[in-house]
Amino acid sequence: MREFYGTKLSNALMLGTAQYPSPAILADAFKRSGAGVATVSLRRESGADKEGQDFWALIRKLGVHVLPNTAGCHTVKEAVTTAQMAREVFGTAWIKLEVIGEEDTLHPDTFALVEAARILSEDGFQVFPYTTDDLVVAERLLRAGCEVLMPWGSPIGSGQGLNNVFGLRAMRAHFPDTPLVVDAGLGLPSQAAQVMELGFDAVLLNTAVAKAGDPAAMAEAFSLAVNAGQLAATADPMEPRDMAAPSTPVIGKAFLS
Amino acid sequence: MENVSIIGSGVAGLCVARALLDRGVKLRLFERGEGIGSHACSWWAGGMLAPYCESESAEEPVFRLGKESAEWWDKHTGEVHRNGTLVVSLERDHADLRRFKRRTENSIDVGPDEIARLEPDLGDRFTKGLYFENEAHLSPRAALASLREKLILDGVDFIHEEVDPRVIAVDGLTVDCRGFAAKDALPDLRGVKGEMVILSSPDIELSRPVRLLHPRIPLYVVPRGDGVFMLGATMLESSTRSRISARSLLELLSAAYALNPAFGEAEILEIGVDSRPTFPDNLPRIQRDGNLIHVNGLYRHGFLLAPAMARMVAELIFDNSTPEMMHEHFN
Amino acid sequence: MNILINGEPTTTSAETLTMLLEQNGFANTTIATAVNSTFVPQGQRETYSLKEGDQIEVLAPMQGG
Repeated sequence: MREFYGTKLSNALMLGTAQYPSPAILADAFKRSGAGVATVSLRRESGADKEGQDFWALIRKLGVHVLPNTAGCHTVKEAVTTAQMAREVFGTAWIKLEVIGEEDTLHPDTFALVEAARILSEDGFQVFPYTTDDLVVAERLLRAGCEVLMPWGSPIGSGQGLNNVFGLRAMRAHFPDTPLVVDAGLGLPSQAAQVMELGFDAVLLNTAVAKAGDPAAMAEAFSLAVNAGQLAATADPMEPRDMAAPSTPVIGKAFLS
Repeated sequence: MENVSIIGSGVAGLCVARALLDRGVKLRLFERGEGIGSHACSWWAGGMLAPYCESESAEEPVFRLGKESAEWWDKHTGEVHRNGTLVVSLERDHADLRRFKRRTENSIDVGPDEIARLEPDLGDRFTKGLYFENEAHLSPRAALASLREKLILDGVDFIHEEVDPRVIAVDGLTVDCRGFAAKDALPDLRGVKGEMVILSSPDIELSRPVRLLHPRIPLYVVPRGDGVFMLGATMLESSTRSRISARSLLELLSAAYALNPAFGEAEILEIGVDSRPTFPDNLPRIQRDGNLIHVNGLYRHGFLLAPAMARMVAELIFDNSTPEMMHEHFN
Repeated sequence: MNILINGEPTTTSAETLTMLLEQNGFANTTIATAVNSTFVPQGQRETYSLKEGDQIEVLAPMQGG
């Protein structure tokens, strides 16, 4: 697996932290899967509430890398300001940059995304941009200073899996040296395995685990799938072919007719 | 036996009082608000006694212990309606119905005819649903009042005073049922905010709670009788016990409208908000520190689990048993 | 003076952002601040002078995907 801004991950599964039935189940999902990265966000806190502090304590106890996001941001300014606040709160230069352009699909605003990525990269952030499979946008993001790309599988929370395998394959081929993470839209471990088989470096998901009937078991399943896909990718899989090629030898078979 | 003090007159405190009184102790109950009112989280409860439906998202003990509740409330207040629960969804959310069924037991698939028979006022808007026969509901405020009245008649001393449980515990066994106010003693507690609305719509009649499944906010409507309906409830990770947001109200009222457009003409009687005291695994706990016993974390299962919790406190005190919901690891 | 904290109007006697945070229970918490949509780093809160009508955002960690 390629390194992410110099960090080696022992587990290619990254998990979101939203929508779990309870904090205990969240912790269990991370423990059972061994996921090494948790995405987090920011929200308004009142002085009396200490939810944010309790949540932060829980995350620190997990001992994972933290990847703050700019969820809910629609403009360059919002995303940049949110990233700055996240860097201070979470003490990391990592930022999952989301700039949303359309509400129903949560489609990235790729123009604002590239601009925000440029500003943040110049300010020393290590940007993980949530993007589409558009190769031109990907090129611009790298030029803007990103060293990692996070193309979507399908719309956030949709569980559709991989909507455009060709696009993802093209991205892997076009950017052979860039760490690539598929983020969003995954629903089943087999889809995560497929992502890794395509040669991607990691998988990020939230809803598929948090909204499963047994999130901790599902997290473990995703981890196994990601490992399977990763191992398969290194084992140089066979090429598909149109004609049959029997696996059992036919030479020497008795001619019975 | 000795005297026992209880602090808090919400659903937990009142049920514990009843259970201990029935074992024959002299009791006094401290409450910082006067009587039952909007200062108590229980005031805003839905009043559904729905262990089967709750098991869709809750851990197993909630289901098992919750099954004790209908009979307990019936026995002690006589005001329990056993008409089951009807679960429906909009056409586009039928996948949620299938998932709900997979994660629960004892539901019957119902089609448009049965839905019309069960709840004529849902019209023909819903072609599919699940009927949970073995569930019940009550009116929480009436039930609390009834419980409280009987406790007073039976000799429990209600003292209107805010007290420190540790101070009271110096004098004898004390059960702390303060809900979220006990956060000072129970740092693991968090609040899960709930917003609800009470509507008056005399043109509509429902015989049982109806749950409308929804990807973002699953909601329920509970009939309170006389055309009054309680509509609830959001679940937000926040300990703020006030401030209902416009978005939450919009979602709640939209759900009511989806059930029956006549709700659009309903009169809004009350808008309520409070925060449910909850532990990290969403299960309630009994914790003991010498003379001081803490009962807390009933989350959204106050009326459902308070009877079982009360029973367990009584068993802890009188039978020297270690209750199931006893939580070790306490300073 | 009148200011807004997280969208809520309030009055305060605090002159600096640090004082305002202390008065509102934010001392020793993990938070970040922005005033009028501009980030104010921790190191600058002590010297940041509040003005009438300032809109202060106080953000803390939360769940996210």
